[in-house]
Amino acid sequence: MSSILIVFRKEITEILRDRRTLMAIGLAALATPVVLYVISQVSTRTATQTYTVGYSGDMPAGLDILFTSTGLKLEQVSDPAAAAKRQVDIGLAFTAGGVEEYYDPTRQSAQVADIRIQTVLSKYDAAKIAATLQQKGVDPSVLNPLPLTVHPLSSPAQAAQNAFLSFFLPYILITMTLTGGLSAALDTSAGERERKTLESLLLTPAPRSQVLVGKILAVTATSLAAAMVAIISILITLSRISFGGEGRVAQVTLTPLAAAVMVWLAVLLATSFASLTITLGTLARNFRQGQAYVTPLYFITVFPASIVLFIPDFNPSAAYYLIPILNAVLVLRDAIVHDTLSWSSFLVTSASLVATAALSFYVALRLFTREALLVRS
Amino acid sequence: MTDTAVKIDRLEKAFGPKKVLRGISMEARAGEIFGLLGPNGAGKTTTLRVICTLLAPDGGSVEVLGFDTRTAPQEVRRRVGVVTAEIGVYPRLTARENIAYFAELSGVADGELGRKVDAVIERLDMRDFATQRAESLSSGQKQKVAIARAIVHDPPVLMFDEPTSNLDVLASREIREFMVESKGRDKCVIFSTHVLHDAERLCDRVTIIHEGRVVAGGPTADVKGRFQDLEDAFLSLVEAAP
Repeated sequence: MSSILIVFRKEITEILRDRRTLMAIGLAALATPVVLYVISQVSTRTATQTYTVGYSGDMPAGLDILFTSTGLKLEQVSDPAAAAKRQVDIGLAFTAGGVEEYYDPTRQSAQVADIRIQTVLSKYDAAKIAATLQQKGVDPSVLNPLPLTVHPLSSPAQAAQNAFLSFFLPYILITMTLTGGLSAALDTSAGERERKTLESLLLTPAPRSQVLVGKILAVTATSLAAAMVAIISILITLSRISFGGEGRVAQVTLTPLAAAVMVWLAVLLATSFASLTITLGTLARNFRQGQAYVTPLYFITVFPASIVLFIPDFNPSAAYYLIPILNAVLVLRDAIVHDTLSWSSFLVTSASLVATAALSFYVALRLFTREALLVRS
Repeated sequence: MTDTAVKIDRLEKAFGPKKVLRGISMEARAGEIFGLLGPNGAGKTTTLRVICTLLAPDGGSVEVLGFDTRTAPQEVRRRVGVVTAEIGVYPRLTARENIAYFAELSGVADGELGRKVDAVIERLDMRDFATQRAESLSSGQKQKVAIARAIVHDPPVLMFDEPTSNLDVLASREIREFMVESKGRDKCVIFSTHVLHDAERLCDRVTIIHEGRVVAGGPTADVKGRFQDLEDAFLSLVEAAP
């Protein structure tokens, strides 16, 4: 049997008996649905919540009905500006010349109430104008000489769902492919030295390159399992909860193209991270030191890539696809949102990640064959 | 038996500016227990690590059963088993799985794996704890696992580097008995220790090294010479060394 397979099988056996790794995978499967459920509850509450409008003056007839039906509760106050600071969410002063609005933009409730009031007032204005024109025998459509009819090419709900997935899935993918196999990577590298099994292992006639490949494959498999468990858990959760209080459960679908791209990138990311973490673990004298070496990896790789997800309509140049990890996020985002794939970007990304894994493997192998590895221990 | 199993010729090794071995030469034969003696820091462990190819020599040469450690390291590793004081085992594997892992990496064929692992478990009287995870074993039991994994591929050269330093009296005696038994099986047993009482009782021949140099070597009785015991001889030789 090949030494690669022997080492792989042994490492997997140990990983499956390691509570730390199993807990990391289990937590990923459980924590993500909980987070999504909380987000869903918060968004539902925000959408259905009633906000209080403090007003003064004479409100035009019929407007109160519109306010109430839009989740705005009316409360008469003497000073809307003062009330809007604390007592109510937003203040309105009806005067002969129009409506004065008072709100504190630092309060989220005031922002939501403002949006609702703008909507209500524009509808009220349009209805009033149309009624006045009709009374005077004028077709209200004169106010809209170029009527616009919108034909969405995909469901707006689905677009929102895709936008959500395009943020969440890449983030979970890169995070889990790094953290899912972290404990296993340190255990198989720094742990060998800490347990004092490294010397015995290096004494066997098995080629060290094969021993290392076996270890990297085992950690890669663990990272992949963790990432896939987390992503499947997300997709199942998303298909069972609703956002925005509409009571509808959105159909969460990952197109075959996006799914294929995600799996391929997961393999490359997991291999790269496995090689990197085993390299850093090989430098460490023990598990704790290994953790100290690996922690900055999160901030160097996952953190910058995640920041990109917060930038809407980020249109990267070709050079961005050379940056490992970040490029995976960009390609996956395109595949999820647009269901398209730029082959040049995809190939550059794949080559970049393969090169990262190969370089890390080379460094790890050099470390693994250095006498200093033993002398330091 | 006088077949040379391990031949060291003017071996030199340095770690940075520090010269650890300064041209030592010795030969160990099949069917004997060869004692490698010296105080802490004399270079015993470094010598053993060069023999088993973990370290490369800076000067001189080392041959194991005719294979040069520099040019044929894998052939050397196939023929050597090493037991050290550091009895590191994989805690989440059972004793048997630990042994089988090293047997497979040492090239034991799939068809022979079970038989060879069972044989070594039987030989070292490990049946009672063979299926227990290593994390639950005592130090003596772990040391048996360490010995088992070193000999499971039946190497002709066995090296013991301070094997009893972390063990109690009973476990230490079992190690000594095992070395004697291995000698009876025509193995070349190299025993590195600073416990001279053990060396005097067990070794057919000894080499004493001090600060990277050989200060004495030969049959144990000859090295002991006119002194009351090997310890007196050792102290006299080390003090007289330049």
